[in-house]
Amino acid sequence: MVTKEEAGLQPLERPCKKCNKQEATQISRTEPVCRDCFTQYIYSKCVRQIGIVGKETQPPQGAPPIPRRYVLGLSLGTSSTVLLHIVNSYVDAILSKGRRSPFDLDVICIDTSISDYPNEQLQRTAETYRQHYPRLNVEVIPLTAVLGIPSIDWTSLPTLKQDAASPDQLRDLFSRLPSATSRADILRLFTRHLLIHTALARGCQAVLFGHSTTTLGALTLAETAKGRGFSLPWQINDGVLPVGDFSSRDRDPTAATPTKQTIRVHYPLREIYRKELDTYAALTDPPLAEIIPPEEAVDRAGSVVSHRDLSIDEVMVRYFADVEENYPSIVANVVRTTAKLSRLDAEERCGVCGMTLDETGDERWKGEIGEGGGGGDGAGRSGLCYGCERSVHG
Amino acid sequence: MAPTLCAACKTERALIRRPKNHQRLCKSCFISVFEDEVHHTITSSKLFFPGEKVAIGASGGKDSTVLASVLKTLNERHKYGLDLVLLSIDEGIKGYRDDSLETVKRNATQYDMPLKIVGYDELYGWTMDQVVEAIGKKGNCTYCGVFRRQALDRGAKMLGIRHVVTGHNADDVAETVMMNLLRGDLARLSRSTSIVTGDSSSDVKRSKPLKYAYEKEIVLYAHHKKLDYFSTECIYSPEAFRGSARGLIKNLERVRPTAILDIVRSGEDMARLVPVNTGRSCACTADAAPAVAAEEDGVGGCGSANGRSSGGEMADMEKQLRQSEAAEGLEVDVSAKQPPRIAKPKADVVRLPVRSNGSGAKVLGQQTLGTCERCGYMSSQAICQACMLLEGLNKNRPQIQI
Repeated sequence: MVTKEEAGLQPLERPCKKCNKQEATQISRTEPVCRDCFTQYIYSKCVRQIGIVGKETQPPQGAPPIPRRYVLGLSLGTSSTVLLHIVNSYVDAILSKGRRSPFDLDVICIDTSISDYPNEQLQRTAETYRQHYPRLNVEVIPLTAVLGIPSIDWTSLPTLKQDAASPDQLRDLFSRLPSATSRADILRLFTRHLLIHTALARGCQAVLFGHSTTTLGALTLAETAKGRGFSLPWQINDGVLPVGDFSSRDRDPTAATPTKQTIRVHYPLREIYRKELDTYAALTDPPLAEIIPPEEAVDRAGSVVSHRDLSIDEVMVRYFADVEENYPSIVANVVRTTAKLSRLDAEERCGVCGMTLDETGDERWKGEIGEGGGGGDGAGRSGLCYGCERSVHG
Repeated sequence: MAPTLCAACKTERALIRRPKNHQRLCKSCFISVFEDEVHHTITSSKLFFPGEKVAIGASGGKDSTVLASVLKTLNERHKYGLDLVLLSIDEGIKGYRDDSLETVKRNATQYDMPLKIVGYDELYGWTMDQVVEAIGKKGNCTYCGVFRRQALDRGAKMLGIRHVVTGHNADDVAETVMMNLLRGDLARLSRSTSIVTGDSSSDVKRSKPLKYAYEKEIVLYAHHKKLDYFSTECIYSPEAFRGSARGLIKNLERVRPTAILDIVRSGEDMARLVPVNTGRSCACTADAAPAVAAEEDGVGGCGSANGRSSGGEMADMEKQLRQSEAAEGLEVDVSAKQPPRIAKPKADVVRLPVRSNGSGAKVLGQQTLGTCERCGYMSSQAICQACMLLEGLNKNRPQIQI
């Protein structure tokens, strides 16, 4: 007979499929698992990807080792916070073995509030993160810092208001974009540009983004719906990204193309679902959910994108949350499939998204659609890709 | 408040807000703009040659009725010199086709075009009702779709016609792009966007002149031209990937009307990024894209199941993917020592002029096109899908999986 004292030996009601030692409390990809196995699974999936970044940024054999430095884009949402947490624990684990840290990390949060005053709430949140991760450097950079960065061709956007303060200039620029979708789109691109620009300026080898499988799936279809099918592989795959420089062209249009800068862009959470990240955030000790600010407190796009008008990005995020609920593998498959598309590269880059321009495609499309009547004169010379043309000019 | 004037002629009152770009137009300007755009599509893609005999796949629905009307108008206005024939398929679904075939018959007299109706029974020996009786409601869309694709071609062949035009519109193409992305089917994605499928090497060429026309504009055109069409959904139509994609596209169109066209554009571009797909997406030039198995051309006629399995299609795929994922999980220990490498910086960058023909490029959906041993219809297999399905039917048992 089994007594209460022997409970430890008692057969488990629902043992974890992985370790068989603990009660299963979570479902990991249809398998019942215990808390430890679940968090370990998420952790190792992410760390494997971090390992790939490390391997890819290794100097060639025989060459002296270079100090590695990455930028981690922190949106203060669940995904990027989990990424930050895992990367931090990974480095901690290595340091505790008495080895050197494999890389330095710059955690950068872009303040998209575009306000004339310091964003105190964001600063407080950042302070919470700093206390939580004392070894890390958490910085807040205002979005206004994007103004004038060389990887964007500022002449292809609405002209900036003269003699105005930068928040004012940026707000004015957004207000002149044609729709909520355009504003959300340009905001996303600006944030991305600023992170990449910061990483390049600091000599970092890679930028890490916290996109989950679900986010990448939604991004895939959203960019498709915005006409960016051509540059999709550049946007959602891991790997080297060439970064254009439009500043030298302004000074001397005949100057030869400057040496192309490149940086690695990686999505270490690409194999983890959004829902799993939510669960993970609740399972850590102390729960990450406690430091992640409520969404309305951060309000990423609220300043420029009204909540009344839905953007394509939002439609897609909702759709994918729905698909993930019932068909998670289909979401993962979308991301895997897009990864198979080739990346075509050319010298000419889009002035706004910075991706390769598809001249043959543009020419053919114009021929087939017969555009030109609708005030689109000079569309071909604007130096924008189809999707950015749509976002900037409607 | 003064009435808004038409943005094109600036004299008439604007009565129509174009679904495509929200431009305000009067009735006659809308009709002429719509026709001009189809004309542009036809000429820029060089769809027809003078004197060509063309069969219009007519279902009696809005798309094919508008297509017939527009083609007749343009043929006369721009002197294409086409010999137009209406070609209808009778699947043999009681109550579904009876009325729509009546519509097609009326269209034939209205447009003064000859009409040919081909029945599934005379082509295959089975009506759809008989098929449903034999195999049940689940999975019958596979049969309907497969049979229909061939039916138009076979019907055209019977009439000695080598070109069939169908009423697929921009919404259909966008839907197919999204659906194939969701399904992870790059091979189909690369085919589904082209305006022409099949070329000189195949018996019958297919094209979709309304590829860039919005479904809503087609409805408006039919309404304002007072066209006689019949609207019904297939009574057997299930919800599947296409249904999901359709709902999504309707939502996107509401947010940004240009989204449909933007998706079509994305689809065409992505088609060129599919490894080992050399094609430009339109087959209008001499060195046109290979006639990649037009038998599997994405858009199924009834627009519901795309000639694939019905009902739990998404659930089936989810299950399949999970199984392969589980199998992958078992492999991890073996390969753990060698994490999969990402290609070296330059290796995954393909220069523009070289269309990913590198020896290392992955082969996706490569099919060699032959003809079916039994019926002679083009097929990548020895025996085409239709003949396979028929074999199953004739043995009086359902085909489990193609």
